[in-house]
Parts: sequence; C-alpha cells; structure tokens
Amino acid sequence: MTFAPPDAPLRTLIDDLLAEQQELTAIERFSRKHEHATLPAQARYYRDLIPIRKPATGEQYAFGVDLDACTGCKACVSACHSLNGLDEEETWRDVGVIYGGTVAEPYQQTVTTACHHCADPGCLSGCPVMAYEKDSATGIVRHLDDQCIGCEYCMLKCPYDVPKYSKKRGIVRKCDMCYNRLAVDEAPACVQACPNEAITIRIANIEDTRAHAQPGLKLIHGAFESSYTKPTTIYTTKKVMPANAEPGDIYRLRLEHPHWPLISMLLLSQISAGVFVVLGALVFSAQFERVAAPLAVTGFIALHAGLMLSVFHLGRPLKAWRFFLGLRTSWMSREILVFGMFAGISAPLAIGAWWPWIEAQASRVAGEQAARLLGMGAAAVTAPFPASWQLVPMLAVATAGVAVAAIFCSAMIYVDTRRPFWSAANTFPKFCGTTLLLGLGASAAVLSWLQIAPQLARTLCGAALVANVLYGAWNLMMLRHNLRDPSAPAHRSARTIWKLLRPQLAIRAVLVVLATVIGIAAVVFADSGRTVCATLLFLLTFGSAIIERYCFFTASDGPRMPGGIAA
Amino acid sequence: MKKIVDQIGAAVRQWDGPQTQDLVLSPGEFGLGKVPERFKPDDVTTVVCGFCSTGCGLQVHMKDGKAINLSADADYPVNLGMACPKGWEALTPLRADDRATTPMLRNEQTGELEPVDWERALVLFCERFKEIKAKHGEESVAFLSTGQIVTEEMAFLGALFKFGMGFVHCDSNTRQCMATSHVAYKQSFGFDAPPYTYADFEQSDVLVFIGSNLCIAHPIMWQRVMRNRHHPDIIVIDPRKTETAMAATQHYAIQPKSDLVLLYGLANILIASGWIDRGYIDAHTTGFDGFAEFVREFTTCRVTRDTGLSSDQIWLLADTIAKGKRVSFWWTMGINQGHEATRSAQAIINLALMTGNMGRPGTGANSVTGQCNAMGSRVYGNITSLLGGHDPANEAHRAKVAGALGLDPSVIPREPSWAYDEIVEGIRAGKIKGLWVIATNSSHSWVQQQDFNELLAKLDFLVVQDLYFTTDTAQHADLVLPAAGWGEKEGTFINSERRIGLIKKVSRAPGQALSDFNIFKLVAQYWGCGEMFTRWSSPENAFELLKEISRGQPCDMTGIRNYAMIDESGGVQWPFAENASDASTERRLFADGAYFHADGKAKFLFELPREAPDKPDRDFPFILLTGRGTSSQWHTQTRTSKSDVLRQLYPAQAYAELNSDDAEGLAIRSGERVRISSRRASVTATAFVTPTVAPGQLFMPMHYIETNALTVPAFDPYSRQPSYKFCAVKVERLK
Repeated sequence: MTFAPPDAPLRTLIDDLLAEQQELTAIERFSRKHEHATLPAQARYYRDLIPIRKPATGEQYAFGVDLDACTGCKACVSACHSLNGLDEEETWRDVGVIYGGTVAEPYQQTVTTACHHCADPGCLSGCPVMAYEKDSATGIVRHLDDQCIGCEYCMLKCPYDVPKYSKKRGIVRKCDMCYNRLAVDEAPACVQACPNEAITIRIANIEDTRAHAQPGLKLIHGAFESSYTKPTTIYTTKKVMPANAEPGDIYRLRLEHPHWPLISMLLLSQISAGVFVVLGALVFSAQFERVAAPLAVTGFIALHAGLMLSVFHLGRPLKAWRFFLGLRTSWMSREILVFGMFAGISAPLAIGAWWPWIEAQASRVAGEQAARLLGMGAAAVTAPFPASWQLVPMLAVATAGVAVAAIFCSAMIYVDTRRPFWSAANTFPKFCGTTLLLGLGASAAVLSWLQIAPQLARTLCGAALVANVLYGAWNLMMLRHNLRDPSAPAHRSARTIWKLLRPQLAIRAVLVVLATVIGIAAVVFADSGRTVCATLLFLLTFGSAIIERYCFFTASDGPRMPGGIAA
Repeated sequence: MKKIVDQIGAAVRQWDGPQTQDLVLSPGEFGLGKVPERFKPDDVTTVVCGFCSTGCGLQVHMKDGKAINLSADADYPVNLGMACPKGWEALTPLRADDRATTPMLRNEQTGELEPVDWERALVLFCERFKEIKAKHGEESVAFLSTGQIVTEEMAFLGALFKFGMGFVHCDSNTRQCMATSHVAYKQSFGFDAPPYTYADFEQSDVLVFIGSNLCIAHPIMWQRVMRNRHHPDIIVIDPRKTETAMAATQHYAIQPKSDLVLLYGLANILIASGWIDRGYIDAHTTGFDGFAEFVREFTTCRVTRDTGLSSDQIWLLADTIAKGKRVSFWWTMGINQGHEATRSAQAIINLALMTGNMGRPGTGANSVTGQCNAMGSRVYGNITSLLGGHDPANEAHRAKVAGALGLDPSVIPREPSWAYDEIVEGIRAGKIKGLWVIATNSSHSWVQQQDFNELLAKLDFLVVQDLYFTTDTAQHADLVLPAAGWGEKEGTFINSERRIGLIKKVSRAPGQALSDFNIFKLVAQYWGCGEMFTRWSSPENAFELLKEISRGQPCDMTGIRNYAMIDESGGVQWPFAENASDASTERRLFADGAYFHADGKAKFLFELPREAPDKPDRDFPFILLTGRGTSSQWHTQTRTSKSDVLRQLYPAQAYAELNSDDAEGLAIRSGERVRISSRRASVTATAFVTPTVAPGQLFMPMHYIETNALTVPAFDPYSRQPSYKFCAVKVERLK
C-alpha cells in the first residue's frame, strides 16, 4: 500500500480523466488488420478502371470521365488531396457543374476535372526552364518541382487553370496522374476513390486526340477550344446535353492576380524602351550630343529598376539562370534573353554617351594629355565597343532596335496565352502605346529638369500630349466596343472592368484628362513652368498606365473548366 | 539544334530535390497501396466516420500511435473502399485553431468568454443548475443534445440527467432529422426498426426515392445503387431536378408537400387495379380494409390537381411499382421534415406492405438516416422512450432498466420529456430557466432562428458543450465545456442499416478538452450522484450495460461480445442476440413477416392530408425549399468549414436557387444579390438562376445561417419534427 506524501496535491478525478484523455490506445486495444499485406486491398475495386497494358508508340494515358456516373460527390478531390499528401489548401482536381435545358426539361451535370495531360501542353511550351516533361512512355505531363522557378507563366498558358502556385514553396505544382501509382498498376487516387467508377484511365491514340481537337471543338460546354493544347481527357454521356448548357460559375466575374512585379517590370522597361527609341530617333539631330547622356542614363536606370523588380515575381529567382532551356518554345525565355541583350547594350551606351562631357571636364581640369588618358580608361570600360564618340549614335540606334525587340517579346508572352483580352490586337497597341507615351513623357521631363534643349523638350511634350489623347481614346473605344458586343472575345474582360474595376476606370479617366490639360500647359509654358508641367505630365500618364496595366492583368479572365455555383 | 538543346537540358534539369521528395509516394503496406512517404504509417486501424449515418469505415493511418492520414477502408461492408469528401477530411476539423481547450466562462463585465479550470467550471455548473432546480423545480432545466456523439455518451447523458440529476425535459437534434421515421416505424411496426441493409440497394429492380437527394446527401449509399446490376428503374420524387433526379430513370417533380396525396393516390390505383399482394396483407398486416376505403377519394384527378403531375405520369409510376419484383422505397428529409411527415412516411410504409415488398432482398420501406448516430439516439437517448426503446410508463420496463443499471426504479420518471419545440416554448413561458446544449448548434439550425436566439437571453444559465468555442450557440453561452471530438474518444455509432460501428481514440484532444463521456462522469461526481454511475466507468463498460438493457428487445445486441468483436466484424447489425444463428454481415428485418406489435402484424396508418402552414400568398409568393447543398458541407458547418479542401468545394456565402422564368420576371440574374423575406425575417443571398428549381419555388441550402432565419415553426403533430421544407417567401433584387 502506498500513501501520498502529506504535502503532495491530491490527485482528483479531473486529473485522472485529463491524463486518460491523452492516452492513445486504439492500436494496443484492437487487432491489427492487414499487418503483413503488401498488395493494395483497394485493387479489387479499380482493377477494371485502368488499362492492362502500357501505351504503345503514338499512344498515351488519358483520363476518361463517364458523366452519367459523376453525381457530384467530390470524393475525387479529397482523395487526391489526402493520397498525394498535398498542402492544406491545395487541390489538383476540381468538380464543377453545368446547367441548362428548359423549365420543362431542366438539365444539370457535375463535371470532375484535373490536368488533361494535353498532346500539346501549353504549360510545357511556355515554361522557360523546361520544368515540364511530357513523359515519352505514358504521355503524362509531369512538372519538375525542383526545376521550377515559380514564374507562374504555365498558369497563364494553361487554358484549364491546372497548375497552381504555392506561395509557401515558391513553385507551382500540378496533377501528375499518379504516374508513380500507374507504374506499379495502382490506379490514380481519384480513380480509386470514385464511388461510381466515373473516372478511368484509358489509352488514347494521340492522332485521334489531335483529330478531336479541331477548331471550335471543346472538351465540354464552357471549356477552352481544344485546338490550342489538344487535351486528352474524354467526357462521355448518353444524355443529350442541351445547347444552352453553361458552367455554374459563368456569370461570375473574377479579378485575376495583378502580378505587381510584372506591372512594374513592364512599365519601367517600356519607359526605358521609349526613351531609347526617342534617343535613337535623335541621332541625326543637332541636339543628339547634348541629350544623349541624360536620356541614356534615364533609360538605363528605368530598365534596370524594372529588371530588378521583376525578380520579385519569381518564387525561386536563384534558379532562373536556366532560362535559356525554353528558348525553342517559350516567349518567356526569349524575353529574358532579349532583355539581357537590352541591358547589355544599354550599359556601354549609357557610359559612352558621357564621352563629350568627360572629355570636356578632363581638358578643363588637367589638359589634353589627361583627357587622352581618361579616354583610354573609358575605352576599357565600354569594351568591346571602342569609346569613340562616333560609335555612340550607332549604339543608340542598336539599343533602340533591341528595345523594340524586347517590347515585342514582352507582348508575345501574353499573346501566346490565347486569352482573348491579351490578343495581339489588344496587347501590341497597349505595349507600344505605353512605350511611346511614357518614353516621350520621361524624355521631356528629364530634359526640362536639366534645362537642356528646351525646344526639343517642348516638342517631346507635344508628342506625349498627342500620344496621351490618342491612347486614352483608343482604350476607351476598345472598352466600349467589347462591352457592347457580347460576341466580342474580350467581352467578359470588358465586363470585369466595368463591373469590378469601375473606381480604377474612373481614376484613370481623370488622370488622362488631367494629363491632357497639363500637357497643353507644358507645350504653352516656357522654361521653369514647363519643367513642372512636363514632370506632372509624365507622372499623370505613368499613373494612368499603372491602372491600365493593373486592369490588363486583373481583367484578363483566365479560361478554366466549368466551376461550381459561385456565391 | 534540337538535339543540342535537349542535351544541355538533360544536363541542367533538376529531376530531384527537396520539392520533388515532398511528393514522393511509397508503398504504404497494411494493404494500402502507395501513400505519401511523409505520411507512411507504422500501423492502421479502422474507425467509423462521424459525419452522416451511412457509417463508412475509415482506415486511419497511424504513426507513433497517432493519426496522420486516412483513407477509405476497402474491407468495411458499408462503403467498400469509398468515402465522401467529408470522410476523407475527417481528421482536419480536429486540428482547427478555434478548438475549445479549456472550460470558458463568460465574464459578466466584458461579455467575453474567459478560460477557467475544470474545477471551477464544474462547481459552477452544478451550483447554477441546482439553484434553478431549487427555485423552479425539476422541469426548469433541459438539455438539447445530438446525433453526433457515441451511443454510450447519449445513454450516459440521458441516465445522468433524468435519473441522477433528477430533471425531466430533454431532447436532441435527432428531433430535427429522424423523429418522423422513429415515430412512423414505431407506430407501424411496433418498434423503431428501419428494416433494410445496404445490399438492398443492389438487389432491387425498382428503387423509389422520395424526398431524398441521395447522390449528395449519402453518396456512399448511391454507390450501392450504381452497383445494382439489375438495370433497375430508379424513381425520384422531388420538386427539384436534383443530382439524384438527373441520375434517375424517372423523375416526378411534384408540388412541394403534395407527397401525401400522391402516395395515397398511388395506393388507390394499386388497390383498384388489383396490383397488391393480398396474401401478404392478410398474413402480416392489420387495418388494410379501412385504408383501402380511405384512399378511394384520392382519385387520379385529385392527385394531378395537387401534385402538378399528369395522369399519364401517375399511372406510369404506379405501373412501374406494380411491375417491380423487388421494389424498395427510400425516403429522407423531404418526407421527415414536413407538417404531416409521420403520415407521409407511413404512406410509404403502406405501399411497401400492400405490395408485399417487405422482408425480401431489394425491398422495404426504408428511411435513410441523417446523422452518424441518430439511430443510437433513437434507441438509447433516454429521451422520448426509456433506454433501449423501453416504455417509461411500463413498470416491468422500469424495473428491467433500473436493474441493469443497478438503480432504484423510483429514480426513473414516468412522464415523457418535452420535445425540442416544447422546450423552446418552455423558455418563452419562463418554465425552462437552464439549458445544456451538447454537440449541436441550435442557434443556427432551429427554425425561426432569430426568435430562438432572442429566447436564449431569457435563460438564467446556458451551458454549451462542443469542440469549438466559436459555434453560433456558444456565442450565447454562459459556460462553454471543451469536448473531445470524433477520433479523440471511444464508443459506438449505429448507422442507417442498424449497424453498430466503433470509433476509436486515434488523436489527442487539444488542451483540457475531455470526451463527453468523461465530462458526464465529472458532472455526476460534482452533482453528488457519482455513486449511481460507478458502473459507467468506461465507454466499453457502458456498452455492457446497454447490451443488458437491449436483451429481449428488437434491438437486442447481447450477442456482441465486446468492442473488439465489432471491430473485427466490420460492425454488427442489430438484432444480434446471444447465440444468434445468423451472423452474416448484411441482414434485413421481417423476412418472417413478424412485426413488433403484440399481434405480430404491421399496421396501416393514415389520415386526411392537411394544408401546409405558411402558404404563399400575394405578398409572399414563393415556396422556400431547404436542403443539403453539397456533399462537402455538413449541417451548420461547425466542422466542415474548418477544412480548406472542403471549403473549396462549396460556395462561400448563402445562395438561393431561383427558377429561370421567375428570375426573368423579377429581372434577377445569377450572381446578383437578392433579399429573401419570409413572414418572420429578411436575409440576403446570392441568386443562382436555374431551371432545376420549379417556377414559384426557391431553394436555399441549410448550411448557411441565413436559411433558418426564414423557416417556419410548424411541426408534425406526432413526431414534433419541424417542417423545414416549406415556407412562404418573397424575393427582391438588391440594388
């Protein structure tokens, strides 16, 4: 018999029960099942749902979905999450719904969807670092998580909203059709978990897939045109799908991610390109020698600021050196390459343009001899271009050319996603518009501040003013057209702006009007007045461009598979 | 060029690394197939799911004695390797940040809940309720409990509250879901005995679903329908074109609450056409002739008028039932939650009885239950009946139960408890002064919710016992007691097909949370009646007491040796008496045609239909239907809202489905905000325009708190179950 020492606190029932609550006893108390089983007990349910052979040449694995069996339980989503050990909020599968029919004959159908493991995957062709691999044996589109730099371009490229970015990890991840499981004849998690056997793995003939991806054809109502990426999933139903069937979330306008680092990068690089274009256009002008240095430095600073900010867009910037891997297919790779050239060529120009000034300073301070020595020093810095003043105009023209190429690549990144709002007809005018508008404005402001070439500054202000009016009018016209015409491809984007971005739109309109007024003042006023007005003109147009670019991203209305009821 | 790039590519591509490793799968062993390597178990154990009454077996993956993941159990006879999203996510709500980890007392000055220790909480709990009892009598404190805790806890609570603490009135949220089936079966069969087993879904050649959206509400039961190899006719009777209606071969979109007329009309056609089983009726039922006479007035003409169906439709339906060799009838909340629900359920039972569709594979009048342990609550809640389905007014029953529990029969009250709505009215009348709410969220789920919440302020003391201190009801509590949840304790659930399944302790409760069982134990001790409950030392010992109480009852489970046997057998259906000859995994009732009334016969019960209360008029022209929204939401979302995955699978805010023609008239488009008003309250929701809801009707899922602000306090007179599925509303577009 033991006694508690007299000063020890008495153990109460509460203490006992609290202690008991923390004891986990399930394993000791109950028998162990399948202790030695290695074969999956679940196999008997899915054996007939996966192919008994591997894909041959010209074939690949593909998801099959029997819509008549998909009744919306969504077990596939949860099972995929748990059996693949995904992050808390991460899902690789989704279930949407389409509605339609008439009051007499209503129709609804739930639609389970994951990666379609396309024959021509948009994610893969867009990836700048070859972080995607279309497995040659199975056709499964795999994502190489450790290769990914987190640029999210695949998310813009995929028309089914499949790759998802993880902020925590700095990379995207996506469905890999449980290739690990298929390799050992286990079914993917979703196939295993569907109570109604609605999801199967089939062997698809890639030629057939391509044949089914004619322009105008879609996987299902509300999906993106299959001709773009040639998705391999096949949805089947014995029911007649009414022609008016629409995704459950079709009315839902959503704001896409604004990608602030990209907004900054695009605008600053376009300022830079604009300034270099202005400088390039001035090579035959008498003012060239005077304006070259300040403009080149302005362009250089804007470009490098933009490039630095763009790094914040990447989840894993240290891995971005592999960008050249995607050159064959990815506009992102091409953009990085051309921007590298742009940055490279703008440096000697920015330094070389100082030559007359350096020479003048040197001769003033130390005489001709020292100036010659300095010149040799400058030559070393600006190698491989000899620091001869005669080469600076050529450099300026070349830089302007590379700048234009860079802006072209920037635009192509978006055009290549096939989002209607980012069509070539919409994106090129936007990117060229801001390049000119902001390039002219920035040049005018810098020259005014430095009190260099006042007439030129005035002309530049005038040009910026005209650009502001034309660009503002064009934007407004496009919005009006897209809003009024429901069949316009960018109609939903226009509606998104009209419904969800009205305050931004209003502010932008005010900025454009103010810029116009100030622009007129800048042309009219002389000298000190112009300095203030030119600066304001630039800031106002820059502000309006920020809003325009914000809308460019947030209203881009990324395509996706049918979603659920949105509330 | 391509080759060169490929070669460079191969050289500088990182095929492996920490991110890749994160998703590596490896053989899970234990018959699991591949599992995430990070969650590779060192053991597995089966636990029955704690959401709905399907009662799926979940294989919990354990590491170092603790649950780390789970998957559906391939061998469990209920779910055959499948689970719905709630089941897959069952462990997630246990990890929520807002778990109650200590008792919490409301500070009267600040109005905030503040942590207190168990000693203080229990002393206060007993002091306050004893004060109320001393001042206002034994009818002044009530509890509202749940179908979500284990049978042993329900029984302990019922016994403690009535026999130990000496109170009278108590009810549970089973009143909101299954009371109708309980009463209907009890009156018709002589005992609350759902007759079926899930195999019946696979064996029918005609399945009739009435007021049941099985695809969404019970997807794992629907799985069994999909496995039916007899190409069955699947009939769905539901005002809406639900997921289940889409999957059916015949859908009858009747006017809301015209089901009783339709069922009587069908009976009339079947009888008049001679499509009945006279032999079965004569041998095993009473009251048929009166019924046959009664239904004669339900002519096809009347049925078409009330239901909105055509006479061809009604005849096709009757014909399909008549031609079926194995017809099963299934109903859920569309029937149970109505103003004449009990008679409606019995009208279904009558159809099964008169066509001889009882007791054979693929037949039955089958109520699909709601909550995971509604069946436990129906038999062992000690609420309307005495433990084990006994009659508190019957001396022999009182003696038997008292004997099994080692109590004096005099502690068992003879009078029945008030039903939920009567307790609520008791609060209004000032008769109920103290309330103990256990694992239910009345502030969200009760009809005419605002009224209920205002009434809570009239209470002298409100105790809420739950997993979370953030439930809508806990916001009103004076004292919150932190409960351990599913997976953090042991006990048994009884599923829809009467299968007793086991839940196990696979996860540690946070902080000082205790199982409801242990909380009741503490209450017994602090109340001063601990001595009466020494036999209730553990859930498994309590199970032994319940076995003894079940002896000789239709729900006899004396043949179950212990928890281990339940675990090894994949659950055991009642009845399973000692030395039972049939121990097969799937058993149905009434194969012998012997019902539980004294005469061994089932009764035909019927009554004239009544108009639904709260009919639409010019001011409130729409009928509001409520129901389950998605399979990823559970009731008031106390748990399902805690899972990121589940949250992605349902709309975040309240929405109302509105017919496309009606919407056009009101100039409402999908996605717009609307105001919906009933005669009691006004709420806002997002409109969703769809032809799947009939003109003149509106549908709102019950999971959003807005919905029950609108519903009407109308009740079935026999089951006292609220009529959640019918009230008049108007809808306006919000500018």
